[in-house]
Amino acid sequence: MSLPLRSNRVIPLLALLALALLWCLDFVSIQPNRIAPGSGLGLLAALGPVWALLLTGLLLACGLLALWSPRPTYGPILALVWLLLLQLPASLAWSIERHIGADLPYARVGIGAGCWSLLFLLGLLLIELQQRLGLSRVWLLGSAVVLALLLGWLAGQGWLEPLALLREYQSRRSQFAAALSSHLALVGAAVGASLLFGGAIALLLQRYPRAHKGSIGLLSFIQTIPSLALFGLLIAPLSYLSAQFPALQQLNIRGIGWAPALLALIAYSLLPIVRNTCVALQEVEAGVIESARGMGMSPAQVFLQVRLPLAMPLIIEGVRVTSIQAIGLTAVAALIGAGGFGTFIFQGLGQSAMDLIILGALPIIVLALLADGLFSLLGEGFSSGARR
Amino acid sequence: MIELRNVSKLFGQTRAVDAISLSVQTGELCVLIGTSGCGKSTTLRMINRLIAHSAGSIRIDGRDIEQIDPQQLRRGIGYAIQNTGLFPHWTVARNIAVVPRLLGWPAARIRRRVEELLHLLDLAPAEFAAKYPSQLSGGQAQRVGVARALAGDPDILLMDEPFGALDPITRESLQNELLRIQAQLRKTIVFVTHDMDEALKLANRIVVMDKGRIVQQDSPQALLAKPANAFVENLLGGQERGLKQAGLLRVATLMQVLTTAAAPLAGPRIKATDNLRQALSLMLWHRCSSLPVVDEQGRQVGVLRLDALLDRPR
Amino acid sequence: MSRRALLRSDAWQPLLWLALLLTAALGLGELDGLFRLLEPDSRTVIYGRAAFIDLLGSHLLLVALAACVSSLVGVGAAIMVTRRWGEDFLPLVSQVASIGQTIPPVAVLALAVPALGFGNGPTLFALILYGLLPILRNSLAGLRSIDPAVLEAARGMGMAPLQVLCQVELPLALNVILAGIRTSLTINIATAAIGSTIGASTLGDPVISGLVTGNTAFILQGAILIGLLAVAVDSLFEQLQRRAPGTGQAK
Repeated sequence: MSLPLRSNRVIPLLALLALALLWCLDFVSIQPNRIAPGSGLGLLAALGPVWALLLTGLLLACGLLALWSPRPTYGPILALVWLLLLQLPASLAWSIERHIGADLPYARVGIGAGCWSLLFLLGLLLIELQQRLGLSRVWLLGSAVVLALLLGWLAGQGWLEPLALLREYQSRRSQFAAALSSHLALVGAAVGASLLFGGAIALLLQRYPRAHKGSIGLLSFIQTIPSLALFGLLIAPLSYLSAQFPALQQLNIRGIGWAPALLALIAYSLLPIVRNTCVALQEVEAGVIESARGMGMSPAQVFLQVRLPLAMPLIIEGVRVTSIQAIGLTAVAALIGAGGFGTFIFQGLGQSAMDLIILGALPIIVLALLADGLFSLLGEGFSSGARR
Repeated sequence: MIELRNVSKLFGQTRAVDAISLSVQTGELCVLIGTSGCGKSTTLRMINRLIAHSAGSIRIDGRDIEQIDPQQLRRGIGYAIQNTGLFPHWTVARNIAVVPRLLGWPAARIRRRVEELLHLLDLAPAEFAAKYPSQLSGGQAQRVGVARALAGDPDILLMDEPFGALDPITRESLQNELLRIQAQLRKTIVFVTHDMDEALKLANRIVVMDKGRIVQQDSPQALLAKPANAFVENLLGGQERGLKQAGLLRVATLMQVLTTAAAPLAGPRIKATDNLRQALSLMLWHRCSSLPVVDEQGRQVGVLRLDALLDRPR
Repeated sequence: MSRRALLRSDAWQPLLWLALLLTAALGLGELDGLFRLLEPDSRTVIYGRAAFIDLLGSHLLLVALAACVSSLVGVGAAIMVTRRWGEDFLPLVSQVASIGQTIPPVAVLALAVPALGFGNGPTLFALILYGLLPILRNSLAGLRSIDPAVLEAARGMGMAPLQVLCQVELPLALNVILAGIRTSLTINIATAAIGSTIGASTLGDPVISGLVTGNTAFILQGAILIGLLAVAVDSLFEQLQRRAPGTGQAK
């Protein structure tokens, strides 16, 4: 892509927007306890004049650097954005330090809309810079990880303890761990199983191409059925089976719980994997296969040494799509009692506990982004291997 | 008539076109030739304002093109490009009708015009009018591209390597077609190519460009006879220059005319309308130093001797 | 008729699904006896808090409104960033459209509550926001995949920018844009169903209520209707897509 040699208008716009939202919206909100209504604090009240002006100055500097130099120098802007990002946890700790004394042992500090907006816009700025500098998407993930580590460290020091999100976490530590493991277990099992079945189906379809259209059609048909409907449709037959065969009850297979969730997840996961694997295996260049055969490779050798390695990046792309999809669907599966982070979301919705909702939703987003980054990285690795 | 005076184009710091002056007479077929990146396509696109020039002036029939609304200007200039740029979602007929529709012609007139152009380009309307571009061969698509460029009956035609992506045989037939159409319609044509044979075959005048400047502009014969520098000589094919020059001359110009009509004859012979390059090739093949020359009906009208080729004036 | 023939079949398919959907929405309430078999012990076996047809209506309204807004915004934004004056924003917008789709729709729906509260409004907002991404992404892909020679020819013929957009770019990108709207609708029909949990009235209501009270009959009724709705809308769009101006070859 050719980048014009003029000043960048995107960065100043984002910086300005961040500035406006930062000054107009509450930066944090403070509740004396869990039940009492919170009161919002603006930027100035939350952080004091020095910090607030510093933030303003940094954002302005970002915008001006992009606007004024005829050929924007993205390096310094990137450094500024990083600084802004890393000061976020610190600014939270600082506003806690300023406002929460020993007299308020049960006080909870909520992250305000202004703070969230800043985080969001900084994210956009990072994406913009990543694009302009031509960096890999994995690099974005790295920034997020550094930020998370910093947050974790500050929390470990106890400086962020009154943060409402953290308080919710503290009171649900074991549940959180259980939700994480059941979420990961369901996603892992579904992706693993569908990789196994999907791979087998794709191989069969290579051999019987006439079944291709029908199978893909059937799998796409399943994909169009909304998750809530599919979960719901599986409940009746499974509870019937479970009632008929006590052995199934021993395995905890019932109308609700992990069994219908896993079944539905596998059904959904098959399409991306089968489709990508089929395309990947078919699209290996005919000349390459021809020459492999011509050199005397056996069919098994052709498959294992040529076809499969060349198909790998696309297959991994299928796994990436499937994993992201499964992470989201598992959240819905909490509705039918399958556990996972969705439990927090739906509990929070039931109790109108906003921080609990966020405690459920954030890890789901983080998991999805992590899976995306991980499989992108893996795919990149394989495709550079294939190119060599 | 198209006049370029001291026209330059800057892309950032680089001068793609550097102060060129050129005038193309009405009815002339002017070929811009040069290696890729020499500024020939940029020059072409400045004429219909697809690229704005940075300095100098461009006039068409005396009017500065900057005074004309770019869309109006382009509707009055035919434009054909290498990859045809046919609209894939429209039929051949609809593609040809683009400019007439933009000009707001009545439907009946457009229909007549499309039919006329399909005939002109040797495409049977019944067969081709309703086809989509994806159903055409490369040569057919390019014919449609030329027909589309001619549709609004423009005085000027800009062609950017229109035959560059075609196989040699199709290319040659389309070149002949263009010469036939030009003889009939007498448009002012600016034609960009990097193929010297194509330039020599089509041009009234060849403009050689290098690094944004005009190196030489001359008729094909004059260019062959006196290349301005080593670059032009190289472009003309160095050692093959003799053959290229022979390719420009008709057998009729050097043959010895027979005063008495002779009977039809068998064996090697050459048509009076063929060129000297073909005659030389035949002599080499048949290892002979003279060839009987025949007319379209196959009657002998003269004799061509190898000596005549060697002795011809420079 | 075999399953494969059914899947391959043509224009009557959306009509069949729509008819099935309407029949189910109007008729499920009458099948008391059938659902009684499923839940012999329950007092009621037909979801009664709202008529199925009303739920279908509000579900459809939510999804349709969201689709209209996100199509307008998505296609509009894609058009803007592919013009000369908006190309500054192209890298950011296309990357956001692709990264945004990584975020699960449930999470967006859930986060709408702390931001906006409960009810139809926040659900609509979440649907618009999430439904925007596939449309934006496909519109960008569609507009950018057009052969540059075609655009150059269009300009060279003397078409005005608006004529190039309306006569050349949009028709050529239409199929891909429609595919984006179809994806967006599929996702949104599913997400709207889950919207019941944040207080929207949709076909998810019977399912959620059934899950809460342990009434399998309710769940089944909701699930059947949601499934039929999704399949009907999807097959409708499949037909629409087939009718989009092709390049001659596709027909």
